Order: sequence, then structure tokens, then C-alpha cells
Amino acid sequence: MITMSENDTFDQILDKLNEINEKLDRLLQDTNNSNINDKDKESIISNSMDVMTLISLPEHLRTTATTLLKLEQATANEIAEITEKERAVESNYLNQLVKLGYAYKFRKGKQIYFKFDDNVN
Amino acid sequence: MSFTLAVHSSKGGTGKTSIAINLAGVYASEGYNVCLLDFDFKAPSFTNFFKIKPRYWINDVLHDRCSIKDAVNDISNDFDTSGRLYVGLTDPDIESIREISSKDRDWQAKALRFLIRAKKELIDSGIDVVILDTSPGIDYESINAVAASDYVAVVVKQNYTCIKSTEQVIDGIYNILHKNCAIIENMCHDGYLYPKNSKNQNTPVVESIPCMCDITAKTDNDLIVFSEPDHVFSKAMYKISQNITKMG
Ligand SMILES: Nc1ncnc2c1ncn2[C@@H]1O[C@H](COP(=O)(O)OP(=O)(O)O)[C@@H](O)[C@H]1O
Ligand SMILES: [Mg+2]
Repeated sequence: MITMSENDTFDQILDKLNEINEKLDRLLQDTNNSNINDKDKESIISNSMDVMTLISLPEHLRTTATTLLKLEQATANEIAEITEKERAVESNYLNQLVKLGYAYKFRKGKQIYFKFDDNVN
Repeated sequence: MSFTLAVHSSKGGTGKTSIAINLAGVYASEGYNVCLLDFDFKAPSFTNFFKIKPRYWINDVLHDRCSIKDAVNDISNDFDTSGRLYVGLTDPDIESIREISSKDRDWQAKALRFLIRAKKELIDSGIDVVILDTSPGIDYESINAVAASDYVAVVVKQNYTCIKSTEQVIDGIYNILHKNCAIIENMCHDGYLYPKNSKNQNTPVVESIPCMCDITAKTDNDLIVFSEPDHVFSKAMYKISQNITKMG
């Protein structure tokens, strides 16, 4: 049984880890700044987010996916504002959607954005 | 306040189209700006009710051939409503029905995206109520409509199979997608009510409409809420509209 404060600590650790991850990403990006472009795609899509897939997702990912469908493209922060969860938690869920091949992420300035399928403008 | 309502049912022929069209009329007559869209691509029926030759169909919106604003028609003047009333028709041509039914998952995923975007554009341009008349049961088109909506009005006929399969869509689809939903009983006999021991007691039954033979003749080419505002069916529509606005 995880207590409330353990949960908070866990979230904080997750938050820090995600921050480190994003900083590393940015460092890597800067070191090979040969062709930086603000829509640098960092993953590929292999599955589409159709409504039957949405229904079959576990609850926590479904909420994140539904919110991303509404916003079309969003940062973890923007998703968290709507779902009222921690940014780090949403960042984790969004990255799971990326790993599952449903979403991809790209960089716009210093921000990392998530989006489903690129064939929809 | 603005919201999107999907009128759905687990079985066919429950009265979805009659209810969706007349509810749209009620909201428009109450001063809301309403947009009614046919989302039954397998059995499109709006061309029977609205004598319009649209420039674009809802099919074109899902194919990304036009924006939603190109595909909706202002019919406020036909019915003299105080709010604006727009309607979007689906192509009844057999070619178009075949085209949609052969679409795969990837296409349906995009269609959902275009629908969500269309709804946003409508609300942003001043529409208060979007009503989606869907196809029965669980297929991509109807569940896309449910997913894009805030509320679901599920129309139930009084028989065991319809009630059972309604419970399945409530548990397996609406609840999972966190939709506020309301049951409308239609074509009831002897004031038969949704069973009190039903599993979905917390899904409210907002109205029980009796089975009335004259409805079949009257709903063609006309909105009964305008031609006969005192009809039992019309009064039911007013009651449903009030209950649905209270759901938010
Ligand atoms: N309360 C009612 N009593 C009798 N007939 C009805 C009632 N409601 C709808 N109908 C009729 O039932 C038929 C099917 O209705 P429709 O609205 O087309 O259903 P759906 O869209 O669910 O297929 C139509 O002929 C309609 O006029
Ligand atoms: Mg119908």
C-alpha cells in the first residue's frame, strides 16, 4: 500500500528524472546542431489511435490520450492542466503512448510536444 | 454553455433520428444556436426530412475534402426558430455508403480527429448545441460520435434484448469514455418503465415516450415539435431537452 506522502515523493522523483531526461535531450540536440529544426521528430508512429484502441487502453492512459486528441498537440504541462495530475505523471504517460507507437514527440523551441499521427495536419 | 449530444442506441429502429431532429428543433426554438449532424453513414436519412441540395456532405468533412462550415446548411428560416438551426447531411448514395464501410482503422482514427476538430470549430463559431444522430450498435462511426460528445442520449425500446444490449453499451462504452448519459425509453406500451432492478440505476431515464402510430406518418418531412407542439411526442422532446441541459 503506497501512502499519500510516498506517492508525492515518487512523483517528485519522477519529475526530476523527466527533467534530467529532457535536459540530456537538449544537450544532445545542441552538440550535433548541424541540422536543428524546430519540428525535430524523435520517434515514429506505428499504431493509430482509433476509438476502439482508445477504449481498450488502461484508464490512466485513456485519460491522457483523450486529452491529447482534444488538444491535437500538447506538452505534458498542457495535458496536466486539464487532467489535474502532476506534469511528471502526464509526461510519463505520454512517453508510454510514444513507446506503444501511438504518438510521437517533437521539439518546438525548448518545449517537447506530443501528437498522434502526422497525416492529419 | 455549449455541449455536444450523441443520440445513440444499441439496436436499430429505436427512434434516434426522430428524437435527434426534433430535439434540435426544440433547442433552436428556445434560442440556442444548434447544429444537427447526420452520423449514420450506413443508413443516412436526413435527405428525407430536409429538402436541401448540399454543396458538401458530412462524408466530405471526414475525408478532409472540406471544413465543417462548408458542410452545414442554415435552415433557421424554414422553421422560423429564434436560435440558428444548421443541419449537416450525409450522402445517401450507395457509392458513398460503400466507401465509408470499407474504411480501415487508420482512416477511422483520422475521422475521429476531424470530427473533434469540426465540433471545436462549430462551438468556436457560436454554436451552443451540437447534436449527432448516430447509427445503432457498436461501429466506428457511432462510437466516434460518442467519443466526440459530452452527453449521450441512449434510446431504448421496451424489450429484453434491447435493454440487455443497452446495459452493455453503457458499461462497455459510455462509462469507459466517461460520458454523461441518459436513457430515453421510446415506443413504450402501458407506461412500462425501465426495470427498477436494472444494473444501471444510476443512468437516469429522462423520459418514457409511448408508442403512437401517428408518429410514423408525422415525422416524415416535418418536425412534429413545430407542427404539433402539444403532441405527446413534442412535450416529451421539451422535457428531454430540459433534462439534458441539466446534466452538465
Ligand atoms: N414513439 C413512437 N411511436 C411510434 N413510432 C415511432 C415512435 N418514435 C419513432 N417512431 C417511428 O419508428 C420508425 C423508426 O424511427 P427512427 O427515428 O428512424 O429510428 P432510428 O433512427 O433509431 O432508426 C420511424 O418510422 C418513426 O416514425
Ligand atoms: Mg436513424
